[in-house]
Amino acid sequence: MASSSASLKRREQPMSREGDQLIVTPLGAGNEVGRSCVYMSFRGKTILFDCGINPAYSGMAALPYFDEIDPSTIDVLLITHFHLDHAASLPYFLEKTTFKGRVFMTHATKAIYKLLLTDYVKVSKVSVEDMLFDEHDINKSMDKIEVIDFHQTVEVNGIKFWCYTAGHVLGAAMFMVDIAGVRILYTGDYSREEDRHLRAAELPQFSPDICIIESTSGVQLHQSRHIREKRFTDVIHSTVAQGGRVLIPAFALGRAQELLLILDEYWANHPDLHNIPIYYASPLAKKCMAVYQTYILSMNDRIRNQFANSNPFVFKHISALNSIDDFRDVGPCVVMASPGGLQSGFSRQLFDIWCSDKRNACIIPGYMVEGTLAKTIINEPKEVTLMNGLTAPLNMQVHYISFSAHADYAQTSTFLKELMPPNIILVHGEANEMMRLKQKLFTEFPDGNTRIMNPKNCESVELYFNSEKMAKTIGRLAEKTPDVGDSVSGILVKKGFTYQIMAPDDLHVFSQLSTATVTQRITIPFSGAFGVITHRLGKIFESVDSSTDEETGLPALKVHERVTVKQESEKHISLQWSSDPISDMVSDSIVALVLNISREVPKIIVEEEVAVKSEEENGKKVEKVIYALLVSLFGDVKLGENGKLVISVDGNVAHLDKETGKVEGEHEGLKERVRVAFHRIQSAVKPIPLSAE
Amino acid sequence: MGTSVQVSPLCGVYNENPLSYLVSIDGFNFLLDCGWNDLFDPSLLEPLSRVASTVDAVLLSHPDTLHLGALPYAMKQLGLSAPVYATEPVHRLGLLTMYDQYLSRKQVSDFDLFTLDDIDSAFQNVIRLTFSQNYHLSGKGEGIVIAPHVAGHMLGGSIWKITKDGEEVVYAVDYNHRKERHLNGTVLQSFVRPAVLITDAYNALYTNQTQSHHRDTEFLDTISKHLEVGGNVLLPVDTAGRVLELLLILEQHWSQRAFSFPIYFLTYVSSSTIDYVKSFLEWMSDSISKSFETSRDNAFLLRHVTLLINKTDLDNAPPGPKVVLASMASLEAGFARDIFVEWANDPRNLVLFTETGQFGTLARMLQSAPPPKFVKVTMSKRVPLAGEELIAYEEEQNRLKREEALRASLVKEEETKASHGPDENSSEPMVVDTKTTHDVVGSHGPAYKDILIDGFVPPSSSAAPMFPFYDNTADWDEYGEVINPDDYVIKDEDMDRGAMHAGGDVDGRLDEATASLMLDTRPSKVISNELIVTVSCSLVKMDYEGRSDGRSIKSTIAHVSPLKLVLVHATAEATEHLKQHSLNSICPHVYAPKIEETVDVTSDLCAYKVQLSEKLMSNVIFKKLGDSEVAWVDSEVGKTGSEMRCLQPMGSAAAPHKPVLVGDLKMQDFKQFLSSKGVQVEFAGGGALRCGEYVTLRKVGPTGQKGGASGPQQILIEGPLCEDYYKIRDYLYSQFYLL
Repeated sequence: MASSSASLKRREQPMSREGDQLIVTPLGAGNEVGRSCVYMSFRGKTILFDCGINPAYSGMAALPYFDEIDPSTIDVLLITHFHLDHAASLPYFLEKTTFKGRVFMTHATKAIYKLLLTDYVKVSKVSVEDMLFDEHDINKSMDKIEVIDFHQTVEVNGIKFWCYTAGHVLGAAMFMVDIAGVRILYTGDYSREEDRHLRAAELPQFSPDICIIESTSGVQLHQSRHIREKRFTDVIHSTVAQGGRVLIPAFALGRAQELLLILDEYWANHPDLHNIPIYYASPLAKKCMAVYQTYILSMNDRIRNQFANSNPFVFKHISALNSIDDFRDVGPCVVMASPGGLQSGFSRQLFDIWCSDKRNACIIPGYMVEGTLAKTIINEPKEVTLMNGLTAPLNMQVHYISFSAHADYAQTSTFLKELMPPNIILVHGEANEMMRLKQKLFTEFPDGNTRIMNPKNCESVELYFNSEKMAKTIGRLAEKTPDVGDSVSGILVKKGFTYQIMAPDDLHVFSQLSTATVTQRITIPFSGAFGVITHRLGKIFESVDSSTDEETGLPALKVHERVTVKQESEKHISLQWSSDPISDMVSDSIVALVLNISREVPKIIVEEEVAVKSEEENGKKVEKVIYALLVSLFGDVKLGENGKLVISVDGNVAHLDKETGKVEGEHEGLKERVRVAFHRIQSAVKPIPLSAE
Repeated sequence: MGTSVQVSPLCGVYNENPLSYLVSIDGFNFLLDCGWNDLFDPSLLEPLSRVASTVDAVLLSHPDTLHLGALPYAMKQLGLSAPVYATEPVHRLGLLTMYDQYLSRKQVSDFDLFTLDDIDSAFQNVIRLTFSQNYHLSGKGEGIVIAPHVAGHMLGGSIWKITKDGEEVVYAVDYNHRKERHLNGTVLQSFVRPAVLITDAYNALYTNQTQSHHRDTEFLDTISKHLEVGGNVLLPVDTAGRVLELLLILEQHWSQRAFSFPIYFLTYVSSSTIDYVKSFLEWMSDSISKSFETSRDNAFLLRHVTLLINKTDLDNAPPGPKVVLASMASLEAGFARDIFVEWANDPRNLVLFTETGQFGTLARMLQSAPPPKFVKVTMSKRVPLAGEELIAYEEEQNRLKREEALRASLVKEEETKASHGPDENSSEPMVVDTKTTHDVVGSHGPAYKDILIDGFVPPSSSAAPMFPFYDNTADWDEYGEVINPDDYVIKDEDMDRGAMHAGGDVDGRLDEATASLMLDTRPSKVISNELIVTVSCSLVKMDYEGRSDGRSIKSTIAHVSPLKLVLVHATAEATEHLKQHSLNSICPHVYAPKIEETVDVTSDLCAYKVQLSEKLMSNVIFKKLGDSEVAWVDSEVGKTGSEMRCLQPMGSAAAPHKPVLVGDLKMQDFKQFLSSKGVQVEFAGGGALRCGEYVTLRKVGPTGQKGGASGPQQILIEGPLCEDYYKIRDYLYSQFYLL
């Protein structure tokens, strides 16, 4: 399974006998969460899924292992959704590497991508010196990104792909890729549960051959949406009722909108809470509202129907905060602030202020990346380190209520059972969680027909797919269906991964190509008698038909039914023929002959004896040439008994009968090669058969 | 061998009638479009009525009456019950178009061909697809794949590609190759060599399409000229199709020029239309979606256009010059007709037509040259009943109600007798004072009875009218009351239910005013009177139809070069013209069937599938040519385990084949190539290319066609024996692949 990573760069892989090799290599998100990036290559086509960063690191360390691949070979890059761990290294990849393929994402993803990354650049400027990219790069990348609508099929270089709704966040997609009939599904982050505004992930119509699936939740089971919403609102209600403050550190986009919808509705139903303010402290979320208000069609029916009355994303009880300076901390309130991991920024500033008061509460609503403060406080340590380096007691209540829109175990296993992919590749999950999931999935698919893999970063999964190439014979060539043993000859046209065989005359009918005939006509000065030419040609060529040109009444000759020699005038003759290699050669020799006559070179007297002798000589020469050519091809060639040639390569021996061209030997491959070589040598050395029917 | 394909038009051939065609693919019947015109003449649908029940799927291409107007009627009256496929905008905007049509009609006539409910139910089961989505049909249509592709013309407008066994049938009507403000151009050109192309010849004879920016300037100049002298401008438009482009033009121009003249967009559904259109950005042109992605500017956040849904609002608007876009474009009904009648006699006003009116409508009449001085118009109006009429109506209604109630009570009586029979004893004690009750009934007379009758009918056995009382008997077992666990399950859906129903009834988003209008059941009647309207206002027609013109149609078809071509939807002359043109230079199989004439366009293509063995393929050397690769194969049919034929390399040496030169020589390109190689080259007369001093090169035989539909190219090179000759011949050979 594992292969040296360097081999990825070499595109010329030895062909396996079982079929064509398909390689899947996670460049990020292999046994980890964050910096999703999965490389895939099959039959010379290369695809990269997602292009994220690891939010826990900064600078180059946050990037996926791009050095492992040659970016210039990638045909298509597909981005599933706008989250930083799926899309944030895109500007870097587009602007700072040799990548020259095409990039696709959905409309909503593209609209939010720009806002999100611009914000990311601004925020990280504070803490990071080595910027991966700047705003300019983001704007430039926007021009290169193409959009794809759900279910729309796009074809690039023979790679067909389309996407399905993935739930998770607005615009999130699962990509199905079809290369030469082999289908690969990459789920990205997905959720099979419908929530307040998003649809559940769709079940693809076709079962894929490989399913690259996220495993964030591992074997966990989510509480039902109803219960966790109640827990969420209960905690908030009781905290503010006791005069406490509630901090909800949440990533600005995605889950935050869902939580705001819940809060707004809860407040609307509880008039006693109306005097307690709710803030969302994210200018970014505010900016993205326009996007949420526009791509209503990507959301579920519930929102679409609400939209009929009023826009559900225009909140009545929630106000926006631009910075901590606008915030007056005077009493109970609910604040939703980013970042979700409490690394820095507004959420961290509030946390530092509020963490030592036991009336306050902090609700962590989603997945926490390893190494962030949010992950630390979930274990309820006694003390925490503040941003200024001091330590403070952690007295505030910490609640973890997962609103994470990642599929849980129940969803994952039913999803996989419906699809029944023969190969499952787990990505985007913590190593331990992933291992547990893998074990549990093994018990779900005990028949042994399903392979489940969880490659580490840069570890390649190699799969082999039967490369059964099918062709369609069409047009005149297909008028009669051939039986076994009949021959089929025609032009094979390959477009993408489809093959068609057709007669040359049909080429223009079934493809955009066309055939051509080139007629050549040259005139040669010749002032002698035409009869001389007739005589000379007759001596050299086997078939010379003389006739008279109908228009001019002058004599004409047709040599081998290919080249017409005509007397144009007293001083010129003309040659006319239709181009192909043999006719060109015949005409060249006629030209030479005619020129020779003009030069009055003494006649060559052909003697019968000489002819016989030369035939023998020729025979010897031919043998010599064949021998020399075989030596140059195979090296060790000896003359064996009965005039057979003994060819030995790497200990394999083949006997070649020069007369019949039959080859005997143990090794099939060598036999075949010798046979083909001899066939070619023979056709080069022996006279060309002139009739080409 | 191939897939059988039959086409029979049901409406809209050899004239400009609405579109509706039946295409049968291996016995699976597609109804392509289901249009009606603004006159709603049921006789047009007769051919459809004969086949409606056999239709297996309906494909809609554009959200206007001509393409989907008959859908509600056909579903309700003609027995059409097949699933309908359309893009999301076609579905939504089509629905709104039909609402608008219905409401406009209802205002002026006792329109009873279909109702709002019929529209709703017709559109309820539309399966919505996105562009380029390959939808695999199941069941009877197993193996058929349908996909809508961008057509231009209208938002969501589609050309349909139907594929079965690799054979493509393309239905492309009213496409536009030009990119517009809100729409991308069609992708029809990207289809190559479909088996059948069904297309319209509507614009085949129309060629003088001006450049779009000239046209825009002229359009805006005309409007502002009239506004500046104090006139009003009326643009009769469709409900939700081409009007979007006009709105964008006006909106952009108004913000550039900071005009203060108000623009009104007046249809019964204008605000809903724009609300929906705002969320259809992904269906619009690249520039619109790009501007949203970068700056979140929604192009349809109209700042200069006021959306109105009834005429009173327009009448109440401040006086002064204004621009009004109102439906219907045909002036047969809708606000546009009323406004036209009001404004026609003021010479300062302008009526600007942006599309050719449908045949036989007022708009068409006004577009004739020279425009008529007077038109006779029948104006109808729905007025609420008043005075005696109202009383008469109410009495009539009451009488009907009473009769119904009586009938109901009789039925109920029977029922109650049957069901409450055994209960009679238990109800006995309730009769407290029979006499008083009777008095009550008697004294209060019919009014009291009315109230009671409306809701229920008291069982005749009861002594006094009272609401039925049913004893709620609970089942008991030894543990107490029997519990149904389902009653205690928390249902997730419950939480959403409230919201779901909020929009529910009128499928989709409609503002309250419109909704109330729709649900208005006040008694009313239609009165009509004939008017002679003096047409003294200016009448101008400009082409904003958004269809490709004749020249582009021809070049598009030539580029697509279908194996068989079916022409529909155009006047007889245009059809004949395009047919002749296509026969001469595009393909030999051109059909223009008449109504209900079935043409068989089954391809006579022979084909069979073979497997290419690895052994064979490893010896094939492909040569790349454009986006395909070609090679010559000599092979032998071998055996495989399965039923497939497998091609294997020849056992013996293959007989040499006639060499083929593959490639497409363009004289112009070759000329440049030669001159880049330092050969002196120029075009001589008759399309011949003079290379160097002596050598000439020319194409002989039929030339000037793209795709080479008529056969291989013939190239003649001639010259005297000289070095140049062989050099140029080598260059020529380099343009081809020899197989």
